[in-house]
Amino acid sequence: MMKKILAMLMAMMMILSLTAATAESASDKQYVLDKGVLVVGITDFAPMDYKDENGEWIGFDADVARAFAAELGVNVEFVEIDWDNKILELDGQTVDCIWNGMTLTDAVLAAMECSNPYMNNAQVVIVPADKADQYQTVESLAELSFAAEAGSAGEAVLNDLGLNVTPVTAQADALMEVAAGTSDAAVIDSLMAAAMIGEGTNYAQLTYTIGLNSEEYGVGFRKGSELAADLNAFLVKAYADGSLITIAETYDVQVALIEQK
Amino acid sequence: MQELFQQISQQMPIVFKALNEGFAQTLRLFFVTLAGALPLGLIISFGSMSKFGPIKWLTRMFVGLIRGTPLMIQLLIFFYFPGLVLGKNIWGSGETGRFTAAAISFIINYAAYFSEIYRGGIQGIPVGQEEAGLVLGMKPGQIFFKVKLLQMIKRIVPPISNEIITLVKDTSLARIIALQEIIWAGQAFMKGRSGISGAIWPLFFTGIYYLVWNGVLSWLLGRLEKKLDYFR
Repeated sequence: MMKKILAMLMAMMMILSLTAATAESASDKQYVLDKGVLVVGITDFAPMDYKDENGEWIGFDADVARAFAAELGVNVEFVEIDWDNKILELDGQTVDCIWNGMTLTDAVLAAMECSNPYMNNAQVVIVPADKADQYQTVESLAELSFAAEAGSAGEAVLNDLGLNVTPVTAQADALMEVAAGTSDAAVIDSLMAAAMIGEGTNYAQLTYTIGLNSEEYGVGFRKGSELAADLNAFLVKAYADGSLITIAETYDVQVALIEQK
Repeated sequence: MQELFQQISQQMPIVFKALNEGFAQTLRLFFVTLAGALPLGLIISFGSMSKFGPIKWLTRMFVGLIRGTPLMIQLLIFFYFPGLVLGKNIWGSGETGRFTAAAISFIINYAAYFSEIYRGGIQGIPVGQEEAGLVLGMKPGQIFFKVKLLQMIKRIVPPISNEIITLVKDTSLARIIALQEIIWAGQAFMKGRSGISGAIWPLFFTGIYYLVWNGVLSWLLGRLEKKLDYFR
């Protein structure tokens, strides 16, 4: 009995993988053009993608994505996704690209067709403000327990340093861990840290100390998609005519912008 | 402490609006699941009581498969597999597609549990009643609808109530495919939404919604149980 079930399952999987192989041959760009809408996978991540008072998605990434879709001649649709599932969303065709201040890690580069980097970022250490003096060097971090977003660049850099890290579901959760005292410190993006902690925020008691690495943001498309090259060409053009810089200035991120040529 | 309460009262109107929208999505998933799973469960229960071997065997294997795997995995499979494996995303984009995929996963999952409750309810009725019906010249269909069905309903109300209350809380699992129900709405304020970021209390506040709604449901289901008391 078990053997029969197993054989049936294997047969089913073979059929499924065959159909999958044939479906991939169509051009991804043509697929997007045909349906007339570029579905952009995002999370709520100021200042890259966030909602204004009217519930419209704005931010540096959102505005550039809109301009790119207009260039392609398709509509744009922003869809909030669970960041853990970004590769699933892309390969499952529930979104067409991931455009949300995504760090170009080795894992991302291996799984997606990525654009050229367009923005600089760093992973910074978050600690309670009253303890910040003690943790200004990498060596001083050895005894701390860290929280970092699972699958994030922050988690990767902590693992590389051999530090003690607890993965959590979001960067915001990592901050909560530090605020609640359940972790001693967290590692998150510097752009996010600048917006979310310190004076005048909900995390006034937290501050950031040192940067552990520098890294770059890029846009991810489905593996093999021609759209990545199209976006590169678009970024060069938008950088040259100054529109990219204007958008960056709107969201106060122009210092981090990378020259496109 | 006072500062915290002041902050909360300032954020309250914005948070309230977002949580209400999230809860509307939670309720929609709840009602759609019940509307689909209650009848589908009955059909599955007939399958698992079937006298025809293959149907009975297949249905029971299906129920075992659904009950034996986490709903979270089922959600991921239903939503992502068509695009991943078949190369065609059947759900479309946007919130509607996510809702449809979530609703179908929930209906199938809960129908499997309901079917076992129905089976228990039907098989728990003494066989003598069926024999008496046959002796009186009733057809099997008549026996089911006129003799067994109402008694079965009375018997299954407590276990079904249990499942319904679990369902209210299980809807939160749909956030794994980014369905924006109330937990998602509450969590959004931790990352930042509508100018509020790093606020933790909205997430915990969602608990009140679940508690109130389950309170209402328990009361309604309690009344239903009382109404069916005339069988005893």
